Amino acid sequence: MDNNLLISIFLPLIAGFILLFVPNRARAFCKAVTLIISVVAFVLAINIFKAGDAAHGWPVLQIDGFSLDLLLKVTPLGSFILMFAMGFGVLITIYSLKSTAQVKRAGEFYGAILLTLGGSAGILLSDNLMFLLIFWEVVTVSLYLLIGTGGRGCNFAATKSFAMIGASDAAFLLGVLMVWATAGTLVISEISLATTSAIPIIAFLLLLTAAITKAGAMPLHTWLPTSGEYASASVMALLPAAIDKLLGIYLLILIVRQLFVMQSAALSMVLAVIGAGTIIIAVMIAMVQHNLKKLLSYHAISQVGYMILGIATGTPVGLAGGVFHMLNNAIYKCCLFLCGGAVEEATGTAELEKLGGLGKKMSITFTACFIAALSISGIPPLNGFVSKWMIYQGVIQMGTEQTSGAAKLWSVWLVAAMFGSALTLASFVKVIHSVFLSRLPEELKETKAAPALQRLPMMVLALLCIGFGIFYHWPLKMFIYPALNLEADTVIFGNWESGLATILMIIGIILGSLILAVGFLSKKVRLVPTWTCGEVQENAEMTIPGTHFYKTVSSMSGLKGLYKGQEKGCFDSYDQSGKVGSALTNFLRWLHGGILSIYLSWVIMGLLVILFIVCKIW
Amino acid sequence: MTEPLQILFWVVVFPGFLFTLILGLVASWIVRKVSALVQWRVGPPLLQPFYDVIKLMGKEILIPQEAQRTIFTMAPVVSVAGTLLLSMMLWRVSLAGTSFVGDIIVAIYLMVLPSLALILGGSASASPHATVGTSREMKLVMGYELPLLLALIVVIIKSGGQLSLVAIAQNAPVLSISGMLAFLASLMCVQAKLGFVPFDMAEAETELGSGILMEYSGALLAVWKVAQAMMLVALPLFLVTVFLGGFTSSLWAGIGKYVLVLVLIILIKNTNPRVQIHQAMKFFWVHCGIALVVAVILATIGNNYGIGWL
Repeated sequence: MDNNLLISIFLPLIAGFILLFVPNRARAFCKAVTLIISVVAFVLAINIFKAGDAAHGWPVLQIDGFSLDLLLKVTPLGSFILMFAMGFGVLITIYSLKSTAQVKRAGEFYGAILLTLGGSAGILLSDNLMFLLIFWEVVTVSLYLLIGTGGRGCNFAATKSFAMIGASDAAFLLGVLMVWATAGTLVISEISLATTSAIPIIAFLLLLTAAITKAGAMPLHTWLPTSGEYASASVMALLPAAIDKLLGIYLLILIVRQLFVMQSAALSMVLAVIGAGTIIIAVMIAMVQHNLKKLLSYHAISQVGYMILGIATGTPVGLAGGVFHMLNNAIYKCCLFLCGGAVEEATGTAELEKLGGLGKKMSITFTACFIAALSISGIPPLNGFVSKWMIYQGVIQMGTEQTSGAAKLWSVWLVAAMFGSALTLASFVKVIHSVFLSRLPEELKETKAAPALQRLPMMVLALLCIGFGIFYHWPLKMFIYPALNLEADTVIFGNWESGLATILMIIGIILGSLILAVGFLSKKVRLVPTWTCGEVQENAEMTIPGTHFYKTVSSMSGLKGLYKGQEKGCFDSYDQSGKVGSALTNFLRWLHGGILSIYLSWVIMGLLVILFIVCKIW
Repeated sequence: MTEPLQILFWVVVFPGFLFTLILGLVASWIVRKVSALVQWRVGPPLLQPFYDVIKLMGKEILIPQEAQRTIFTMAPVVSVAGTLLLSMMLWRVSLAGTSFVGDIIVAIYLMVLPSLALILGGSASASPHATVGTSREMKLVMGYELPLLLALIVVIIKSGGQLSLVAIAQNAPVLSISGMLAFLASLMCVQAKLGFVPFDMAEAETELGSGILMEYSGALLAVWKVAQAMMLVALPLFLVTVFLGGFTSSLWAGIGKYVLVLVLIILIKNTNPRVQIHQAMKFFWVHCGIALVVAVILATIGNNYGIGWL
């Protein structure tokens, strides 16, 4: 058993590292190795989850009194996330077998996928903060490599992501050191710090920075849309949509539930503000995007807000809802990115204006995308609805049972979350309309359906969306409640009989179809051209893309300026810190002009300062 | 009767599909008759809405060549199913006093289904007029969703954090200032959900030629009419249950409240011109929004200090 843990971490890591150097000609070899190892890792992860709690340690380093052991521990939370992370690994590998996006650098692509899987397994299993950090870095680096295999402009996106996540990893390191200094140990299961004094609070905030940057919450989200625009869709589906979310939220739960004891009311306020703000702002930006993948990236940001808000409530139902939403989001967002990728590969563009009417050409992709889009918009009885509904209950319960500052503002959080859901629906109506419905442009008349190997992962994920929605008690009892140590029957206090509702909906659909059937059978059906009130118009003139649907919103007097500023990057922490950096460099460059008189005057000024200090002290 | 059969009877006959449909068609007759009286006309006979649906059933069905046919034909059916589920929930609360299927959050989300079906149906018909209607309908949904949610918060505060519709139907928030504001704003939202003037810009016969429903004909249009008739029962019933204390005191009082809400809706319909979509969004987000933020604050104060009439 103990070997299982080691294998599931180091087999993908070593294989991935070797694959990085395999030349591009051996593409088939890379694919085969990745597929086999990801399946092995998935099977191992299932076994680890089934076997339950276990703990093992291997001594690595011993210097005097200080020892660093590779401690691996199977927790209910870590092992169920591990299982799903490896599952996503398998699905994405299958999807990418037929993908044309990474033809040029296959070794790097597949190697980085395996590194990601190994790194995630390490994060989810390790019980030592230092090793957790090391594996965390492995995932960051492999994200850099993966984004770098994308199309034109991907180097910029990769650098930006690496800079932002790397900076947050530095904060992580600092936080780990502070935790070590206060708690005296790096073993996660032994740490429990009270957030009453300054140092634990600072450490909390540093670790929080790392968690939310990985998950992609505001205000440290801007790497996500940039990479969404340039990276290939399978990369986006694997990391930012699925595994990064799982890891970021895993770390957040670790911080909130294990490493720290949340006593400071201000900290739950911080979490709630980040959560609610992320939901609303990101979805407002997503609504006006013109690029399919960029739009999906902004939704990947917005959905993190729900998870953070759920965790911020501190109530059992909110916490369970947040974790369940993490899982659901990974499922439907992964599916959406895969569909987006399939559309991009079939048509050669991800610009919404150039797409349309693909529902008839790519019916399976359309079905999967449609289900996932309804799920992310929280339409009952799909899975996105259930977890959002639990988070709403958490917010309401927080308002009625707690007395902290964050609890008093529960109505603000609830409106942000529920209204965010309506805006999500609006923006996916735009996607569905512009890509799959509307009219088929002349250039896309020859579009072919996605290959079967790409349709399979989409269908699996779409079915999971339906299954986890209708039978939501099952994943909750199986994964979520044990992971969070909650009593199964005491969590949810609302009422949603999803099975009965589904049956009633089906009866309703049958009744409606009966009426339709009477009409269809008694009268003949005629296919006619679109009614244009008698005017003769070309196809192109009748096509209205969805990109201008929400101009009414973006040109509203209060919002116009904000939208313009956002487009220019005024709220992008990467751009802004870049500006500060270049200002600093310009100042230094001006100082080092090579002119002797300036150097001399600085030297004299320095001497004067020293003289002043010396005289003052003595 | 065994339980599955009983549920089937509830769903198909009473108080489900058939009952709601007949009541809805009668309600749509009331809408047309009262509108006619307001406009100094005689108005149609009682059975006119029934004749309309039956006549549509006998008409030829035209489907645009470019349409995505599955979505195009299933949209009205899904609209019927969603409305049926919502009205079943509300009827069970009103008539039997038991919770059924879901709580108030579920009800709010189910109310989106008919609008979503309408939007997707319009979008699938591949007509430029319908697309304009689609865009307007979606913006309208975005618009009224915000005040509806704020009103929901007032209701939840008034019920002391309870979510079940039965518990919410026990008290009548409308008897307080905040509840009154919430009720009035929700009435406007229901007006928009029903697609009635002044919020009928998605259909807009005079400029878009019934926009979002432009390509629908025959039995497909008949199913839309059925769904709309059922909404005319379910949505006012939602207002009655949530804001006016429901059917708890007596059956007749409940019916009286329903008719009152219906008449209010008809009067608003007949005394206002159609507004443009950006005016509607501004109305919902700014005017209704501010009124409801005040209502939420009042309700919170009232709840904390035990002042019922706030």
